[in-house]
Amino acid sequence: MIEIERLTKRYGNSTVVDGVTMRVEEGSIAVVVGTSGAGKSTLLRMINRLIEPTSGRVLIDGQDTMSVPEDELRHRIGYVIQGYGLFPHRTVAENIATVPRLLGWNRKRIADRVEELLDLYQLDPAEFANKYPHELSGGQQQRVGVARALAARPALLLMDEPFGALDPVIRAKAQDDLLAIQRRLGTTIVLVTHDMEEAFHLGDRIAVMDQARLLQYAPPAELLTRPAEAFVERLVGSAERPFRLLSLSTVRDATEPGPASGEPIEASANLREALSRLVWCGRDALPVAGADGAVMGRVSIDGILRFGRPSR
Amino acid sequence: MASSRKGFRLDRLGGVIAVLIGLALFAAPFATYRANRIVSGEPRMLLDALPPGLASGVLAAALAVAVMAATLRAAPVRLAAAGLGFAAVAPAMGMAALFLTPEGNTFARVSPAFGFWLLMLAFGLLVADSLTRLRLGPWGRLAALGVAAAFVALLLLSGAWSGLSIIKEYAARSDSFWREAGQHLLLALGSLSAALLVGLPTGLLCHRLPRLRSGTLQVLNVVQTVPSIALFGILMVPLGYLAATVPLAAALGIRGIGAAPALVALFLYSLLPIVANTVVGLGQVPAAVVEAARGMGLSPRQRLLQVELPLALPVILAGVRIVLVQNLGLATVAALIGGGGFGTFVFQGIGQTAIDLVLLGAIPTVALAFAAAVVLDAAIELANGTSHD
Ligand SMILES: Nc1ncnc2c1ncn2[C@@H]1O[C@H](COP(=O)(O)OP(=O)(O)OP(=O)(O)O)[C@@H](O)[C@H]1O
Ligand SMILES: [Mg+2]
Repeated sequence: MIEIERLTKRYGNSTVVDGVTMRVEEGSIAVVVGTSGAGKSTLLRMINRLIEPTSGRVLIDGQDTMSVPEDELRHRIGYVIQGYGLFPHRTVAENIATVPRLLGWNRKRIADRVEELLDLYQLDPAEFANKYPHELSGGQQQRVGVARALAARPALLLMDEPFGALDPVIRAKAQDDLLAIQRRLGTTIVLVTHDMEEAFHLGDRIAVMDQARLLQYAPPAELLTRPAEAFVERLVGSAERPFRLLSLSTVRDATEPGPASGEPIEASANLREALSRLVWCGRDALPVAGADGAVMGRVSIDGILRFGRPSR
Repeated sequence: MASSRKGFRLDRLGGVIAVLIGLALFAAPFATYRANRIVSGEPRMLLDALPPGLASGVLAAALAVAVMAATLRAAPVRLAAAGLGFAAVAPAMGMAALFLTPEGNTFARVSPAFGFWLLMLAFGLLVADSLTRLRLGPWGRLAALGVAAAFVALLLLSGAWSGLSIIKEYAARSDSFWREAGQHLLLALGSLSAALLVGLPTGLLCHRLPRLRSGTLQVLNVVQTVPSIALFGILMVPLGYLAATVPLAAALGIRGIGAAPALVALFLYSLLPIVANTVVGLGQVPAAVVEAARGMGLSPRQRLLQVELPLALPVILAGVRIVLVQNLGLATVAALIGGGGFGTFVFQGIGQTAIDLVLLGAIPTVALAFAAAVVLDAAIELANGTSHD
């Protein structure tokens, strides 16, 4: 768990992060969004003390980060940046081994861990372990960057626009991989992005920043239904609002009794996908199938649309 | 080009090389004969410089090289052709010396003339061209340098060249030759080491504190523009004063003339390339890489040693290359203020109008600078291979 308390950073008389207080629960993902220059990166970099706060403090699992030597603190916190910063003179395996080596793990343990991470990221160790970063595609570099950050099993991962340089298809895959791995390892993540779509897809909570201030920090649905300020409303996009809201609920939530014809849709799909399917095949309703494949009811356009409005 | 017949095309550079060889053989003297070491010489054409059988053999070999250079395009064949040229002509120069020197005459001098040098140039071009076409890696180029050095060493040690004037100059002063060689290396390498010792930390400091950077580089730039003789002269004054007033300095051998001002001057010249390249090298390490290193908890020292220096190494080595080649040349001037080195022979030779003595100082200097350039270029490429590949 991370507790950020009245965290402030000033350069001269310009305040770039202004009294931000927020709390990220153990094992959850907090996404920070906002316009360029809002102070997102500065906020993130104060958590691992790459930037020293002017005032305020950060507690990780109740411990003030100032009470830990900074290198030691960073060994315990994974860090992924846009461009990844892979070491160009080191192989993929050596890159991933960076923090374990600093921690003095033995050779065998490091090799096992590197192999495990490469497997986790679907990079065949035999093929990739000894490649250099410039021999990898952007997507592969990104995976190595995250694998490197996870190498020493940090409980906390900080990510600054980690998918910024990827094309939409690879980006979606990288987001799903991150979610899957995060659910599995229970890592707490703070992620900065410009992409609202990404924020709604990944965030358990979303923090909206503007001009150094934290305007709102709330679960995605609340951000859509109860924006705290006009800026938040603009940022989440009024035209996109219903669809974003739909993407936050699953077919299971909207399943109603009754028959319907056509190819069944999975209960775990989100309502935006369901609506899209209905529009595309020109039907009013589709059968819903559970994880076992058995039909458990139906989902209708009217039923879905109710979820696209604040009060339901 | 002109001909489009299958398998036969004239090679442009090869054609030039063939013309050079032709000129060297038929229009330029092969050797110069002098009655003693300071009078001016008389030219001897190849056919007059060697016994007839030998002369025609060398002629045939050189012409064969010319034809191969002009018509054959495969790089290994051209390299072999150049090797044949060197193997035929270089020892022949030694034979010419023996042939032209009258029996028992110890005053007569025979030295290579324009035609010989032209042949060396032609063969050298052929080697350079084929090595380029072979795209030799750094190790291949080092090996080529080793082969060339071994070839020259063989000619020298076997006594094949012992009749040549320059070797006679060497034989007359072999002790001082090796002493000055050591002194030359000491001047060039000593000043380089000192410059590394001071320049690397200075460069690092300039990198970390941008405020220091422009001032430091400007001062060093000014030093760089002072002509070498002037700098040697300027340094004689304070060092002389130091020697006269501080007994310890005098005890350490520091004097206004001699090696001390030369070392200091070379050191000062070396600083700019080392400092500037260190700053540039560290500066071009990608910001994201440094940020990631910091974010993963590398200490400033670990960051420097494990990330920044390895990535800056090729650029720093490029600075070392500049300095080493420059200092090997400049160290020649040190002889003027009693600093020793190969320059001693150059200036003695000029004083005595003995051109062979000048060459005895100049040729090793050029050879050293050339070898240093090849070795460091290879090192830079190797460092590049491990840092950016
Ligand atoms: N070292 C510094 N000195 C002075 N001002 C700085 C410094 N670092 C950042 N700033 C300023 O702080 C503000 C916030 O920067 P920050 O990098 O946190 O923004 P950001 O929200 O991450 O923007 P982006 O989305 O473009 O990455 C910017 O206006 C920036 O100019
Ligand atoms: Mg940023």
